[in-house]
Amino acid sequence: MSAGIRIKNLTFSYEKDKPVLNNISLDINSGEKLGIIGPTGSGKSTLLLHLNGILNSGQGSVEIGGIKIVKKNLPEIRRMVGLVFQNPDDQLFNPTVEEDVAFGPLNFGFSREEVEQRVRDALVSMNLEGFEKLVSHHLSLGERKRVALATVLAISPRVIAFDEPFSSLDPEIVMQLINIINNLDATLVIVSQSFLPLLSCCDRIAVLKKGEIMAAGPKKEIIQNKELMKASGMDLSFYRNIYRDYFM
Amino acid sequence: MVFSFIFIMVSEPPGYIEPFLFYGIVISLFLYFSRIPLRFILGRCLIVAPFIFMASLFYPLSSIIGSDFQGFGSYTQEYRIALSIFLKGMFAVILLTLLVSTERFHNLLLGLRKLKMPALLGTISALMYRYIFILTDEALKTSRARDSRTPGKLSMNRLKVYGNQSGMIFLRSMDRSQMIYNSMLSRGFNGEFTGLQEMAMNKKEVVFSVLVILILLAVRITGMSIFSFMSN
Repeated sequence: MSAGIRIKNLTFSYEKDKPVLNNISLDINSGEKLGIIGPTGSGKSTLLLHLNGILNSGQGSVEIGGIKIVKKNLPEIRRMVGLVFQNPDDQLFNPTVEEDVAFGPLNFGFSREEVEQRVRDALVSMNLEGFEKLVSHHLSLGERKRVALATVLAISPRVIAFDEPFSSLDPEIVMQLINIINNLDATLVIVSQSFLPLLSCCDRIAVLKKGEIMAAGPKKEIIQNKELMKASGMDLSFYRNIYRDYFM
Repeated sequence: MVFSFIFIMVSEPPGYIEPFLFYGIVISLFLYFSRIPLRFILGRCLIVAPFIFMASLFYPLSSIIGSDFQGFGSYTQEYRIALSIFLKGMFAVILLTLLVSTERFHNLLLGLRKLKMPALLGTISALMYRYIFILTDEALKTSRARDSRTPGKLSMNRLKVYGNQSGMIFLRSMDRSQMIYNSMLSRGFNGEFTGLQEMAMNKKEVVFSVLVILILLAVRITGMSIFSFMSN
């Protein structure tokens, strides 16, 4: 079951008078798959951290499934929104894969039997059967990425936010990950600089630049708007030329 | 069992060194069966030995300084006390080294939690353990980056580089620690680690532990008279 997201006039800054997010408003429908693109430093990851209440600016609001993110709602929000971090090593801190996947469900107070069931299900869905007792930091990057996603799936979140899920992965693993993402039953928000995989996963794309949403719309419409892409520092003609030179 | 052993050993009255012969034999047996290289244990002991030695000297020194000096030969009891303090310290270090070398840190935390260690201490220990790897990871990365651009050894007049590297390791570790903490918060972390596995002892382990503790207790309670008789 998925949940919609409503972001209204969100402004956030790490340093005074230097807003990283500037008056952002965005609606994401329940079950929708939204890709967020933008140059480095445009505030994409900062926006993701707001979806789970890790950052809370107090200026503007974020609602998940109609529930406003405020301090007293945080346990419920974190149960609803799963974050998959860019670097799986930031997400995996327990001694074994099993313990890492169980971390979230145990925190949310599920019974031991249910936690074990959830761990099993999450690992099976990521093709990680037999990995239970392995040490996370001994796995390959692709495997660690899958374990990181399993740690989130074990909570059965209604919204999953990915931060650069395709970075540093070889094409085969990217393809596996796209298949996994496309089969997830949740509202997805995917921040990525990897356009091609992102296009395979998303219904809609939002362009973020200097903390502001420049445009949001159907992926084809956005990606074919050359002026918009150029203005947002995301000129794709470079990829088009490579494609033309090598594949046509 | 290890903590009971240490507790029993440390509770020996000051100056009684004879029971330590027995404790030494038991520890030697543990060492033998653990198959941990003696060199490794001795290496760890050597690090702390000077501190324990200094601590054990305090008592006889304070007695000598606080009284009229009657020659070094007339302070036998003080020397015995110093030796007993030294042995207690060293044996405790050996036992703890054995414990952490034969058991995974995660299991130790589970065990300590079972022994009612405060949750906050457990959390701090677990985080510290995790962050040590981050520190070493960052140290390794920055060292590789430095070495890749350093032909041979770094010259002595460029030692400042090590200072810069240390600062950078610290800053990067802080950032990564923050990311890990964020990831924990995002999965509902509320300040207490809840483990999936419960620490459970099987029958053999329980019987062995109880037996060893009982023997140690017996030596501790009755041993004084036996060893006093022996020393007379």
